[in-house]
Amino acid sequence: MDQTSSAVPGAHQPLVRHDILFTVLALAILFLTIVPVGMAVFWLGFARGDSPCVMCWEQRIGMILISLVGLFVLRFGPKPKYIGMAVLIAAWGIFMGMRHTGMHAARDVGQGFSTEILGAHTYSWALFIYWVCVVVMGALLLMVRGEHLQTDPRTLRGIERLAGGAFLVVVGANIVQAFASTGPPPFMGQSDPVRFSFSPRHWTWSLEEWNPVRISLRGRWAVHKPGLVTVVSDPAVGPLVNLPPLTVKERKPLKLTLDGSPTDLAYDLATDQFLLTTAKGVYLTDGTLARVNRYTIIDPGFSVDVGRIAGTAFLDAGAVIAVGENKSYVILRPNDQASADSNFRFFLESRDRFDEISRSRFATVRARLLYIMSAAYDPASNAVYTVTVPNNRVKRLIVSRFDRRDLTLSEEYSPPLSPESGLTLGPNRALDELTVTGAAVADGQLFTLSAAYGTLLTIDLGLRQVVAAHAIPGLTRPTGIAIKGGELYIVDAAGMLTVVARPPAPYLLSRYRRTWGTASFGSK
Amino acid sequence: MEFLNLVLIFTTAFLVLRRPGRERLAFRLLVISTILMVFLFSVATRTGLLPGVNY
Repeated sequence: MDQTSSAVPGAHQPLVRHDILFTVLALAILFLTIVPVGMAVFWLGFARGDSPCVMCWEQRIGMILISLVGLFVLRFGPKPKYIGMAVLIAAWGIFMGMRHTGMHAARDVGQGFSTEILGAHTYSWALFIYWVCVVVMGALLLMVRGEHLQTDPRTLRGIERLAGGAFLVVVGANIVQAFASTGPPPFMGQSDPVRFSFSPRHWTWSLEEWNPVRISLRGRWAVHKPGLVTVVSDPAVGPLVNLPPLTVKERKPLKLTLDGSPTDLAYDLATDQFLLTTAKGVYLTDGTLARVNRYTIIDPGFSVDVGRIAGTAFLDAGAVIAVGENKSYVILRPNDQASADSNFRFFLESRDRFDEISRSRFATVRARLLYIMSAAYDPASNAVYTVTVPNNRVKRLIVSRFDRRDLTLSEEYSPPLSPESGLTLGPNRALDELTVTGAAVADGQLFTLSAAYGTLLTIDLGLRQVVAAHAIPGLTRPTGIAIKGGELYIVDAAGMLTVVARPPAPYLLSRYRRTWGTASFGSK
Repeated sequence: MEFLNLVLIFTTAFLVLRRPGRERLAFRLLVISTILMVFLFSVATRTGLLPGVNY
C-alpha cells in the first residue's frame, strides 16, 4: 500500500489504479520477455538450432529494449522520457517488421524465410508484436495518474521483481546465443546465418555486412517510369547488325482530334477499325484513321491504378483492352446504349459509348520489375501479349503471355535469335537494349517495334524465337504498330502516321501452325 | 555487434534493478543501445532502406 495515496481523502480508487498500472506493466514485461524473446532464444535457438538473421536480431533487440523501458517505468515511474523512448522503439520496431516482412510477403503461399510459427514466419510475428506493444502502451497510459509521476525510485514488488529477474535471464541467454552466432565486435549478424550450435567448431562469425555496397532507399524497386526522350532511333547503331530496311510507303500527320499523344495502335479486320490510345483515351476510328467513330477517356485512378495507357488490342467479340505501363488493364466493349450515369465512375468523358467489362492487373514473374509499352492479342492462342522495356535497374526484353480466359500469366520468356534467321548481334550487344513500344500479332508471329534503334522484331510465337528483324528508317519515338493487310501502320508520339510494307513471312511461319494452331488451340 | 548491444542492455537492466541511484547512467545506456540497434538494422538494409514493395 502506498502511504501517499492513502493519505488523500477518498483516494481509495486512485490507489487501486496505482497498483493495477504497475501490475499490468509487470505482466506485459513478463509476456514480452518470455513469449516472443524467451521462446526465440530457448526453444527456437537452443532447442531447435534456429539462428536469427541480422534483421531478426535487431527486431528481437527492439523487443528487449521495450521491456527494458518497462523496467525503467517500474522502478522510476512513467516519466515522459521513458514513454518517449518506448514509443520511438516501438515505431522503429514496426518499421523493421514492415521492412523484413516486405521481403517475403508477396511470395507464394507458405514460402518465407526460416521458421514458421502458428502459420506465420517469425518476422511477421515481429510486426504484430510491435503493434501490440503500441496498443498496450496506449492502454497503460490511460491508467497513468498524477501520483504515478513520483521522482523517487519505487520499491519493486514481487511480480515486478519477477519481471526483472526473467528479463536478466532471457537477456543473458541471448548474450550466449549472440556470442555464438554473431561473435564479438566488430562481427555482426548475418543475412543467412548458420544454425545455432553450442560447439565453437560450428560457429561462423562474419564481417560480410560491413562490405561496401550501394546505399539506396528502395533498392531494386527504385525503377524509373519508362520514357522515350533519350532513346536513339537510328537503326544503324542498334544491337543487330546489317538489318534489311523496310520500305516506307507513306508518312503523314494524323488528322484525328485526340486528348494527347498516341500511345498505341491496333487494327481489327472484321470491323475495319483502328483502335488508338492516348495516355487516358481510347479511340475507335475508321479504317483509314481519318475519323473517330467513338471514344472515351478512362478515369485511370478509379479503383485499379491503370496509370498511363501504353498498349492496346482488339480482343474477342468486339471487346478492346487498354493496358497501362504498369500492366494494369481495362477491358471495354462498345455499346450505343451505355448509361452515362452508370459509367460516371469509369470514364471522364464520353461516358455513353463504352461499357467497362473489367479492370484489373496482369501479374508477372520475370517482368515484375519492368514496365511495358505495348500489348497485342493473338486469337489463335486466345492470349494477350506484353513486352517489357528496359529501365535504370533492369534491362531485359521479356515476352509475357496472359490467357484470355483468366487473364493470368501463362508464359514468359526472353526470345533468343533463331539460328536459322541469319541475324547477328554486335559485340557486347543484346536484344535487351530494345525499347518495344508497339506489338501486333498476325499469322502466329508477334511483330514488336522498338522505338530504340527503329527495329522491328518478328517473334515466332510457336518457336519463341526471333525469326526476322528489319530496320525502319526515319522513325522518331514510335509508340504503336498495327497490321492491316500487307502494311504496317505506325504512330509516333508526335502524332505522325508511317505506313510501311509488311516484311515477307519467314519460312518458319509454318511451324507455328503445326505446333500450336492445330494441336493446342485446334478450335481456333 | 549484437553481442555488445545485449551486454549493454544487460548492464542497463542490472543498474535499474540493483543500482537505481544510477538512473542517469542507465538511461544513457538505454539510448546508446537504441541507437546501436537502429544503426545495425540500417547497415543490414542499406541496399534498400525502405520495405521492398510497391508504393
